[in-house]
Amino acid sequence: MNRRQFIRTTAGAGLVIGAGLPSLCAGLTASQEKGGLSHVEARYYKKLPDREIECELCPRACRLGDKERGYCGNRENQGGTYYTLVYGKACSLMIDPVEKKPFFHFLPGTNALSMATAGCNVNCKFCQNWTISQVRPEQVENTDIPPELIASRAQELRCPSIAYTYSEPIVFYEYMYDTAVEARRRRVRSVVVTAGHVKPEPLRDLIAVVDGIKVDLKGFSQDFYSQYVRGDLKTVLETIRTVAKSRVWLEIVYLVIPTLNDSTAGIREMARWVKNEVGDHVPLHFSRFQPLYLVKNLPPTPVSTLEAARDTALGEGLKFVYLGNVPGHPGENTYCPSCQKAVILRTGFKVGDVQLKGGKCKFCGASVPGIWA
Amino acid sequence: MPKSRVVVIRAANPQDIGSPPDPVRVLRMFQRGFGLLTEEPDGKNAVMSVFRSDDQVGIKVNTIGGRAISTRPEVSLSLAHWLSGNGVAEKNIVVWDRTNRELRDAGYRLDGAAGGIKVFGTDTEGAGYGDELVSHLNVGSLFSKIQTELVTASISLAILKDHGLAGVTAGMKNYFGAIHNPNKYHDSRCNPFVPEVFDSPPVKAKHRLSILDALVVQYHRGPSFHPQWAEKFGGLVFSLDPVAADRIGWSLIERFRAAKGLPSLKEEGREPAYLATAATMGLGRAGLGEIEIIEEVVP
Repeated sequence: MNRRQFIRTTAGAGLVIGAGLPSLCAGLTASQEKGGLSHVEARYYKKLPDREIECELCPRACRLGDKERGYCGNRENQGGTYYTLVYGKACSLMIDPVEKKPFFHFLPGTNALSMATAGCNVNCKFCQNWTISQVRPEQVENTDIPPELIASRAQELRCPSIAYTYSEPIVFYEYMYDTAVEARRRRVRSVVVTAGHVKPEPLRDLIAVVDGIKVDLKGFSQDFYSQYVRGDLKTVLETIRTVAKSRVWLEIVYLVIPTLNDSTAGIREMARWVKNEVGDHVPLHFSRFQPLYLVKNLPPTPVSTLEAARDTALGEGLKFVYLGNVPGHPGENTYCPSCQKAVILRTGFKVGDVQLKGGKCKFCGASVPGIWA
Repeated sequence: MPKSRVVVIRAANPQDIGSPPDPVRVLRMFQRGFGLLTEEPDGKNAVMSVFRSDDQVGIKVNTIGGRAISTRPEVSLSLAHWLSGNGVAEKNIVVWDRTNRELRDAGYRLDGAAGGIKVFGTDTEGAGYGDELVSHLNVGSLFSKIQTELVTASISLAILKDHGLAGVTAGMKNYFGAIHNPNKYHDSRCNPFVPEVFDSPPVKAKHRLSILDALVVQYHRGPSFHPQWAEKFGGLVFSLDPVAADRIGWSLIERFRAAKGLPSLKEEGREPAYLATAATMGLGRAGLGEIEIIEEVVP
């Protein structure tokens, strides 16, 4: 190789792909770098010497040098300034029944314009949405849709709420926050579906602009969180406490995974905690696990296991305990805590008769907590 | 049991090797490095003792650091030319990393022309990541199709840097650039994730050779570039043992740190624990007593 040959192979720019390794590169006919990423300065971080930063959004507190990304995969230090790469870059945008989130005490029978970006700040081995949550934003197809457009589309589509869901909305915090502000201006509500892995200050600020938060409580031991979630249980419990003390509507989901987090003792301990720390009125959903992502060696949760969990939680005094991913099961219905009659009938995500008036049971007049109108 | 051999080739007058480095001098370093590593003075015999003539060789570079502190194109392309001059067909060599943007930012010209040495990223249309998750020990990832489908033999040609979490980023961690979710594997000082990614079938079955680009070594506050803590060492490190190569890379970083009066990585609580794990897993040797080091300066 002489210098001229070398310069020919190193200098310049631009991809010229014509063919490739024999029998292997047939598909390499052009270059494509998937959709551009956003370049919007992130909130909740501090600048450190030598172009380093420390993220203050979630308890991981990623400390990053120039050009490095956080654990979430969608925030990057560029020259000492931290940027979100997914502002206005939705990878999922759908209209779902709000029951799918699930919210059972929040505008039942209505649709939520549901959105997500790529990324997540935990890594659950049983993730049900890993193809968007456990990837980087350049690895999915993104749609450019700014906050004001999402809010106006929700209004046009007669969706009374926007749901930040599917992946982990905490990691697209800026996008979510600004969308919620735009939505509120248009009298569209906002609900957040989160693992609750967030620091207190951003959580407090978020609570000021949204209307409902559903927290996925993925287990009730730090061992489980360390091994299967790579997260911190204490932080999640503190998030639940903080939301419960606020004016924001709270529901909790517990995905029951056979042999991993389904012990009666563990379920009882968790149910007691919910009752004592946040109240017996907070809806608790026991959701059915399906083998996906990295936990494929376990069967779907037996319905009997879910029923046993529900019985345990009801036995501990919780008033609204539901089963999820078991369409047609009576455990999907809402029962009046006073007269025990069914006041909201559900089959899957479809809502049937609603026997509530002004948030009260039509049969006995007892109050049923929730956001009903 | 024979020791693992690590060859450190250093350019004479490393301050003068140039920026960008002189590819002719770099080529001489490869020639000598292969010779000493394989004990084959003939270039073709040396290359063919590591690769087959029909191998499709992937040269995995690390370009996250931009032009300042990435595997230099002058190094990787010199290697590619060295291989092609000694029995591996040009058309069967690809220099690659995870994205075209990072390759370009590091000074590479992307190229997929038929018959020649190819340079492109995993995000090139037609490449991408595999559809099936590879679940191995604590790792669950999609692997670049370049690693899984395009190449039959792999060289990790990494830049040698200090790393705030792993301690050192070198040849083994370079394969984080072959998976879709490396951000998930920086907990616990990247341990055991670095050895577990390496141990996964798509890497372990194809890795043949570790070479560290140590022309300029970031010995403090890495992996980002900080010129005040970058040493113009002018070296290339070769080994068939991936653990031993990284272990000597660590030693070099400690040497430069000590010379500048900096605490050792251990004193900072971030010695590369992944090396001991890798040795325990049988991936190579991490003890200095188990490694034969050959150092030589070439003009």
